[in-house]
Amino acid sequence: MEKIKISIRKDFSPTPGPRYIHEGKFSGELFRQQVLHPRVSEAVEKNIPFEVDLDGTAGYGTSFLEESFGGLIRIHGLPYEKIKSLMSLISIEEDYLIDDVNEYLKDAYEESKK
Amino acid sequence: MKKLYTTRKYSIRNLRHAKRSLRRQLAFKEYKRLKNKADIGVSKQERSYKKKFEEPFKDYKRIHAPENFSFIENSAGVVDFISKLKSHFDEKKKVFVVLKKVKTISYDAIVVLLSIMVRFKATKIDFNGDFPENEEARRILTESKFLQYLYQSFRDEDRYQLGQNSSIVTHAWKDVDSELGNELIKNASKTIWDEERRCQGVQRTLIELMLNTNNHADDSKKGEKHWWLSVHHDKVNKKVSFAFIDFGVGVFTSLNNKRHGSKFFGIVDKLKERVKFGSNADLLRLIMDGTLHRTATGKPYHGKGLPGINKARERNQISNLNIITNDVHASLDTDSFKIMSKSFSGTFVYWELNNENLNCHGEN
Repeated sequence: MEKIKISIRKDFSPTPGPRYIHEGKFSGELFRQQVLHPRVSEAVEKNIPFEVDLDGTAGYGTSFLEESFGGLIRIHGLPYEKIKSLMSLISIEEDYLIDDVNEYLKDAYEESKK
Repeated sequence: MKKLYTTRKYSIRNLRHAKRSLRRQLAFKEYKRLKNKADIGVSKQERSYKKKFEEPFKDYKRIHAPENFSFIENSAGVVDFISKLKSHFDEKKKVFVVLKKVKTISYDAIVVLLSIMVRFKATKIDFNGDFPENEEARRILTESKFLQYLYQSFRDEDRYQLGQNSSIVTHAWKDVDSELGNELIKNASKTIWDEERRCQGVQRTLIELMLNTNNHADDSKKGEKHWWLSVHHDKVNKKVSFAFIDFGVGVFTSLNNKRHGSKFFGIVDKLKERVKFGSNADLLRLIMDGTLHRTATGKPYHGKGLPGINKARERNQISNLNIITNDVHASLDTDSFKIMSKSFSGTFVYWELNNENLNCHGEN
């Protein structure tokens, strides 16, 4: 089965920035709008797996990742279970980011249930 | 009309006015008497030389910098110095900073001095100073280009960059600049490892601090306050130090001022119900270990802002992390959280990067 591949460094920026567009360049909001949401929604629609590569960047602020991944559920209303079942994360350089991203998704899901 | 001015109301006013006027006249007369006395026997040329070179700053308010000019070692002294400068800044009074008696000046103090100087000059308030007699202190000030900037004028701008091509570079802006962080890390890694490397912990620290200033430094509007960052390269000891400051409201004032609707609204009271803490020092400890965030959201810790920076320290991505905000000085490496006698309105963060800190090979 074909897999959708997303590399934050290659497809967006080697220097990810803040949470919102108005806070500075290369924000999580911009990444979600331009890259992550279109590809993840395509993967969800076609029911094909997708892979997000977090390696190779200068580093992340916590809110970039929260806004990018949490926003998929909070803003775009994509189904949590579907994302979880189709998504694989690559983060060899900062392995703790995988737990962080999963936590952000879970939090956004819990929040959306309220 | 004349009758009006002879009424009791106006006669009292006129008398008060006359008294004030007389007082001013007498004060000026005394000033002129002393001035003339001092000038007796002094030629016109000598008088003009004296005015120009010997007493050019006599109408400036003189503020003495602490002998140990280090925000980390002498935080109370530096906070006192900043608060004196701030009160003169608020009153738009000319200031002369007396650095003559300074015996030691550390790199973390440079960002304080430069940021204050630019704020005065950009607001068109005269600012000047002298030089430390101590050679090492003078060398550090020279390295920072402080003396050079002392004679320059500054405009009120969003962005400043001071000390290019020097071992101490200072940047200021209002937004989050991840590209700047990347450049600074590249340069830092060349000093430490003689090649470009990536240090994600430093990048995270920079982004979180810039974001905190952008979002929380001014309660009324986001993105209003400048953050200032000085980076010093120590090529001998293979160490790079970062000193970050903003003159916002500080962490605790910001928390107490959270408006209804914010997830941190009433957080301090909420926290008091669940966790025992006495002072702001205890509260900062709870913020750094993530307890505050957990309480605010009712969810597990997931590394936000200041706790995210502390995580970078725990992972050995940065070293010697110090935070000074409001009345607390925290030295995270030694787990020391102390209350200061004077409160600093703003947030100051210092950390170092050395050859034992985690890093990644390869450019991004």
